[in-house]
Amino acid sequence: MEDIENIEEDEYGFSRNYFLAKELGGASKRSAHKLSDIHIVDEQELRETASTIEMKHSKEISELMSDYKTMYSKWVFELRCGFGLLMYGFGSKKALVEDFASASLTDYSVVVINGYLPSVNLKQSSGSLSKGQETFPSRSMDDILSFLHGPQSGDKDCFICVVVHNIDGPALRDPESQQTLARLSSCSHIRLVASIDHVNAPLLWDKKMVHKQFNWLWHHVPTFAPYNVEGVFFPLVLAQGSTAQTAKTAAIVLQSLTPNGQNVFKILAEYQLSHPDEDGMPTDDLYSASRERFFVSSQVTLNSHLTEFKDHELVKTKRNSDGQECLNIPLTSDAIRQLLLDLNQ
Amino acid sequence: MAPSGTVADPPQCSTTDSFNSSDTAENDIRPFFVLHKASSGNHNGKLTGIVKSKRRIESPSPKIAKRSEVESVEEEDGQFFSTLRFKVFETVWSKIEKTIEDVLRNSNSKVFSGIHDWIRESFESIISSGALKLSEAVRSYPVLTQASSKQLLTAMVLTRNLEMVDDLLTFEELELHLKSQGCHVAKLSSMDFSAKSGVGGCLRGLLRQFVMPTVDVADVTILASWYRENKNHENPVVIIVDDTERCCGPVLSDLILILSEWAIKVPIFLIMGVSTAHDAPRKILSVNALQRLCATRFTLSSPAERMDAVLKAVFLKPCSGFTVSHKVALFMRSYFLCQDGTLTSFVRTLKIACLQHFSLEPLSIMLEHFCHDGVNQLSGEGTELLTEATMKHAFDLPSVTRNKITRSTFEMLPHFLLDLQRMPNPWSIVVLCLYEAGKFDKLRLLDIFCEILDPEARYLKYFSPSEIVNSQSHNSGRNNVIRRVLRKLRDLSPSQLSSMLKSWENLTAEFTEINDKVIELHPFMRAVEAAGQRQGLPNSPKKHASRSNSKLEKELKAMTDKVATVIEFMLREYMKPVESVPFHEILCFKNVDKLQSALLGDPRGRIQLDLLESHDILHCVCCSQRGTTLLPSMHDTSILYKLAQEHADVINLHDWYQSFKTILIPRSSKAKQKSKSSSKSKKRKEICEEPEAPAEALIQYPFLVKISNR
Repeated sequence: MEDIENIEEDEYGFSRNYFLAKELGGASKRSAHKLSDIHIVDEQELRETASTIEMKHSKEISELMSDYKTMYSKWVFELRCGFGLLMYGFGSKKALVEDFASASLTDYSVVVINGYLPSVNLKQSSGSLSKGQETFPSRSMDDILSFLHGPQSGDKDCFICVVVHNIDGPALRDPESQQTLARLSSCSHIRLVASIDHVNAPLLWDKKMVHKQFNWLWHHVPTFAPYNVEGVFFPLVLAQGSTAQTAKTAAIVLQSLTPNGQNVFKILAEYQLSHPDEDGMPTDDLYSASRERFFVSSQVTLNSHLTEFKDHELVKTKRNSDGQECLNIPLTSDAIRQLLLDLNQ
Repeated sequence: MAPSGTVADPPQCSTTDSFNSSDTAENDIRPFFVLHKASSGNHNGKLTGIVKSKRRIESPSPKIAKRSEVESVEEEDGQFFSTLRFKVFETVWSKIEKTIEDVLRNSNSKVFSGIHDWIRESFESIISSGALKLSEAVRSYPVLTQASSKQLLTAMVLTRNLEMVDDLLTFEELELHLKSQGCHVAKLSSMDFSAKSGVGGCLRGLLRQFVMPTVDVADVTILASWYRENKNHENPVVIIVDDTERCCGPVLSDLILILSEWAIKVPIFLIMGVSTAHDAPRKILSVNALQRLCATRFTLSSPAERMDAVLKAVFLKPCSGFTVSHKVALFMRSYFLCQDGTLTSFVRTLKIACLQHFSLEPLSIMLEHFCHDGVNQLSGEGTELLTEATMKHAFDLPSVTRNKITRSTFEMLPHFLLDLQRMPNPWSIVVLCLYEAGKFDKLRLLDIFCEILDPEARYLKYFSPSEIVNSQSHNSGRNNVIRRVLRKLRDLSPSQLSSMLKSWENLTAEFTEINDKVIELHPFMRAVEAAGQRQGLPNSPKKHASRSNSKLEKELKAMTDKVATVIEFMLREYMKPVESVPFHEILCFKNVDKLQSALLGDPRGRIQLDLLESHDILHCVCCSQRGTTLLPSMHDTSILYKLAQEHADVINLHDWYQSFKTILIPRSSKAKQKSKSSSKSKKRKEICEEPEAPAEALIQYPFLVKISNR
């Protein structure tokens, strides 16, 4: 017994002092270890393995879930009183919210919007809300919203419940989507049940949205359930070899650049696609091509774009057989095509 | 963009409980889907539920019934009470809401009628200047050349409140008010003035509101011809822009220029809400547009004044009966002062408090009877709802056990409830009297209200003789409202004292006990006034003046002492804090924690706590044994988060991964772990040459997923 404790003590000490030792030990403050020292397993294999991982504390988690069941009636009451429910806390709340909706909101129609998906069309979703009530020529978002807000009946207790998983999801983070959701939630016959996972999610809303439209009641419901569905759409940061993932990372970097910078990159990318056998595009050619299309005015401007590309490892320089300096995008052709698609969206 | 392979083939959920079923997997990747439609006849069901359970309450015989019947009856009971609770909440809240709306409307009514008068007068002067022919009025030519004819009459309404959210309702009310007076009104907000849709967007918005909702062209001539139709031209056209400062300046300028060109043909009145200063439009409008405005100023009441008026109407005048405890009031005050500062948020807090009260306190349904004006309703109908269980609950309330009220006084319950219902009356009179006295020191009703709710009545200590001496000598405790009132009394002039007495007399008119005491102050007041007059005689010699001056001071001192005594009397006799009254739990909301957690989510802080104290939330035995030690049984993200914490903010991914691995596969049991995982995935072992790969993948997946999702 004592031995076990000693071992544990050692482990504890090890984990706690690991970084401290690293920090104090070396002459330089930075750790000398590199990511490349880790043998990173192929993404395909990682995803396969995911299904075999046993969930820790599954018993406790299901007990936690059944504890939340006792609160369902309270939540229904809150919805009926005109509030929206906002679920937060660590763990996927998708299963919990859907279970609540199917168990306790049987008297009301429930529409689910999966906000964690990279492409959610709010107009379509809202259109589906107005369908089924009566034939309705869905024209613009304004028309749909005014239809939903209309005083169809005096019964305050007649509403459609809209469940939004991850109202702070990547596709819903723009102000327009949030405005639309806010206007949707302020409709007299709509109640919102939403979940958030980003710690800064409340920054999406201003006071009008919070107090007058969403009218949130916060519920802290940590579930510790894995983000299986929500996480799928995030590329794994370290996993290599996936076309979509590297293209995505590059797209994120490029989107932060100026339109001219992006256009210069597009020229480079198109050249590389059309000349797959060459080492890359000669710098001079890139300059003349960019200048022709008014993307750069001088060599200095082009150089500043190139520095930006090189800093983010979007571009590498090589010398070709003629001794010319060539620019090369270190991505596969597929990844480049994907990237161009993303940029043109 | 999502990787297409993963979209088509999402990983299986490993949760084994009822929360996941196979058909949900398909729904997971659809942008939206209908989970279910409302079950038909839900309302009928509810209604029969009510009828059935009502019948049951009349003849309760649960002992004879079988077990299953008892259960179903209990279920029905629950349904009945939940429906009733909702109904009562609706009654109570709509009463409070209506009261607040009325108060706000009253506070603005003067300004509203001022605006309407201004519109009416200006409109008449425009009309009298000469009527246009129909053909002239609907064309943009001939261009009107006189400068005065291009002036757009504008009302600048200063809201004195940076938070626009409080004034949304004000402008809605103004719209309704003007419509009721016959004006054609359209309301635009900053959303309509976006640079993206330009001036066309707001013109379209205007036409949709004035002409018809399906108009899709932006042509001001449509407005002109509409104005000439069907006697429309008999009334002025009003456009309200509620949050001018947030509008896109160039677009608003364009609109003003366009409308001013038509000012004579279509008499348009622009009402602009400004929150910072009357001249705020100078900062956002172009010079051309500014020259076209002919502005008149109006000012709304300040948020603090409105706040006091709302508080007075909801808690101090007979309203719904619902009230809040000292702690809740303090929380609401600090939330208002420190966090949000809008009346809207205060009202929302109140609504949440009311809702929480109904969901936590079963007896809250009795509040329904406090909403009605009649006093006698309680004895009959009110007690009918009291089942055995609720009676037990009523007599277990802390305030009841504390006052040693037992079931033998069962019949007394209606009396207690009647007392409760009557209770706020003298109480609120005293608070309002204090408010009147505090007005001279610019005290807010909210502060007085919070202090006066104190169940321990700590404010009474300011009346002890030692405290009075202290209060004169040093300046401590500036926040103590009662002390401030007492201190300010000594600085009041005779005329202020006299006006305070008058308002006290009015306030206490219905309550003779206090009123008598106030009337007793009159001789003192007369003495003070007499002394004041003597002092004011112009031809009295100097010697006499100084003597009369000291006489006045003496009289004033006697007077203020007397007033302080009356205040003390009022506080001691009638200031029974709500929380000391038996059965107050029925109408008083006390749970400040619930209110706070529902009102203010703290996603950042709570997620950190979730990860640091996951074992407390999960109640697992394995992880909670050894305090802060990192154990392999802990949740993966918990381990990762704690490791990151140990290394402050900057962490080397490699080191992070290695230490994560070390914790998951302790050195002593590494071999065991390896064999376990490899036996589980034999198939993969064949594919992978490297023996350590499966274990590595098992560790890497959670690691990568977690850091990618952050």
